[in-house]
Amino acid sequence: MIRSRSPLLLIALLLAPALIGLVVFRLYPIALAVNDSFFNVLRGQAVFVGLDNYVSLLTDSVFWNSLRVTLWFNLLINPIQIALALGLALLYVQNFKGVTLYRVLFLIPIGVSLPTAVLIWRIMLSQDGLVNGIIGIAGVPAQPWLTSASFALYSVIAIATWKGISYWMIFIIGGLQNISPEIYDAARIDGVKPWQRLLFITIPLLKPTLLFVLVADVSINFLLFAPIFMLTQGGPADSTNVLMYEAYKSGFVFGDMGRAMAIIVVVVLILLVIVGLQFRLLNGRKEAA
Amino acid sequence: MKLIKTAIVASVMASMLAGTALAQDKTLNMIVIEGGDTVAMQAVADAYTAANPGITINLQPYPFAQFFQVAELRLRSADTGIDLVYVDAPLLAAYASRGFLSPIEGVDTSTLVTSALDAGKYEGTQFALPINNSAQVLFYNKKLFEAAGITPPEGLTAGETATQADVDTLASTKRWTWEQVGDAAQKLTVSDGGRITTYGFTVEQFGELYQLQPLGESLGTDVIGADGYTAAGYLDSAAWIKGATFWANLYNEWNVSPKSLGYGEAAQLFGNGQLAMMAGGTWNLPGLTASGVDYGVAPFPYFEGGKVLTPTGSWYVGVNAASTNQAEALDFAQFLTTSEEGTKVWFDSLQQLPTYTPLLDTISTDPAFDAFPQNVFRMGVFDSLNTAKARPITAAYGQLQDAFRTAFVDIANGVPVADALASAVQKFEAAAARVAP
Repeated sequence: MIRSRSPLLLIALLLAPALIGLVVFRLYPIALAVNDSFFNVLRGQAVFVGLDNYVSLLTDSVFWNSLRVTLWFNLLINPIQIALALGLALLYVQNFKGVTLYRVLFLIPIGVSLPTAVLIWRIMLSQDGLVNGIIGIAGVPAQPWLTSASFALYSVIAIATWKGISYWMIFIIGGLQNISPEIYDAARIDGVKPWQRLLFITIPLLKPTLLFVLVADVSINFLLFAPIFMLTQGGPADSTNVLMYEAYKSGFVFGDMGRAMAIIVVVVLILLVIVGLQFRLLNGRKEAA
Repeated sequence: MKLIKTAIVASVMASMLAGTALAQDKTLNMIVIEGGDTVAMQAVADAYTAANPGITINLQPYPFAQFFQVAELRLRSADTGIDLVYVDAPLLAAYASRGFLSPIEGVDTSTLVTSALDAGKYEGTQFALPINNSAQVLFYNKKLFEAAGITPPEGLTAGETATQADVDTLASTKRWTWEQVGDAAQKLTVSDGGRITTYGFTVEQFGELYQLQPLGESLGTDVIGADGYTAAGYLDSAAWIKGATFWANLYNEWNVSPKSLGYGEAAQLFGNGQLAMMAGGTWNLPGLTASGVDYGVAPFPYFEGGKVLTPTGSWYVGVNAASTNQAEALDFAQFLTTSEEGTKVWFDSLQQLPTYTPLLDTISTDPAFDAFPQNVFRMGVFDSLNTAKARPITAAYGQLQDAFRTAFVDIANGVPVADALASAVQKFEAAAARVAP
């Protein structure tokens, strides 16, 4: 009897845990952040200041530098991570000698917790660390990996990439395994070259997976905080001062929650725009085809 | 059985009676810094609760690196789970201006050092009481100086005694200059195959305003203006450029100091014999003596031709405005800072220069302080009376400290001095303008 009625109740019931989680852990904090961004705390009293916190960001050179660092960081790290994850996934599904060892090696970073990984990398990248030791054998002088404004951001990118790509690789492997082998067989019979197979079969059929990975990866990297907090504190010379770190410093070190929340709202808005564009670009092409 | 019953009844009766006299049994919660401070505070708390059985004191220790953020967050949210707050001197204005602390009234503060007491005031009202003062000295490793064939600075060392008058003479006439420190450090630094095995010199707290404030100020210019919100013309002045250039040379020109030292790492290097000179606090004395390193203690250096200025100021205790145990919390704060017993227990445990004048008099006159390393405290007494320069009072101290640290860490990492200071001025002023009245 129940089955014949509208399944609306069932749908609501099944979705409830996820929806409640979404509201409590995502939408509510965002609403809170938006609300707090309209206030300043002066002498212990929260004072409504309207859009003042946003207006002052417009002339705030620290904010603009931080925005520039955030965008440059993401412009580099996301394509690098996705390209490497795709490459690793393609290797992962091959069969060659020693593939098990290879598979284990590339799953290790997932098993290491982020703070542990960051600490180990910090030691390895220090002045007397392993990395400088290794390049020293080749006669290259020691480099200030984390303490020079021209290296630090790229070191952070390298560490975050090392930690992140195996995770994204797993999703892409899932996508690859969904592609029916018959398509490849047919292509082989037709004499399609391997690079053509990748470009015209694998990547188009991976699109839904890649879209998910792209959106999730960009979101995570936009909100990346821990490695910067632990390694560089935004330095040297603000070269790694991403918006998340600037917001943290404003709110938790200076007690300026209004500015911190205004920055967070800006980050969320930028992220929404970028994710929206990604959906349009990747889905739009499908509609045209 | 009967005896036990009687005992229980008696103790219940006694506690009820005590309850009427002492209101109720109360638990006081206090946030403190992990480590030696917590050990010392526990000793004072034990002494206090022994005399006040109705009170339990519960310490909540946090690591130094997280303490300020935790205190900031919990005080801001009016957390009633804190009664007593451990307050770093320069943050007092920021806390008091936002109503985090209760005004302190009805406490006899005549036994406290006036300058220390004043640093606990905001706009004329006392908001916190000084627990102790601080003094910075120059520790030097005698063996490493001998090995390098250099004469160490004149100082206090093991096996010698010194009266307050001897120490006063030493501190006013034999103080090394930063130029001497720089020269000696270059001769003391030893490298082996491109790696430095012995460092010539370091400050204990890498890039912190507390230790580095005298660099520019002893050359004549304060770190910020008297209004508390202006840094242009101060932190980027010629005096500060000269002071910061000395700092830059330590890392990039002479390569005598280790970069990016963590909390406590300098003392560890010195204790291991891998560091020839360390500018650090007298709180290192117990640890260094225990490490077995053969060391001496000289006065904190100054620039040739400049004024002798030394870091000062330390921790205060305040009562959280949101606490529901105001009277009890204030009573403990009073015991900790203005009682003979409380200040002595604290000093014996932590070995920090006191702000309680009767105890300072004891250090100056008691023959028990003639011997090393106890006589080092007499150097602290001299400096706190003659050369101590407090950190600026501003509600934007957190902002100043961060901008300053960022600039000096950047300079050590090779950013040009003028650029780093200009950026610090700009960042501090922008952030400070947001909290300026």
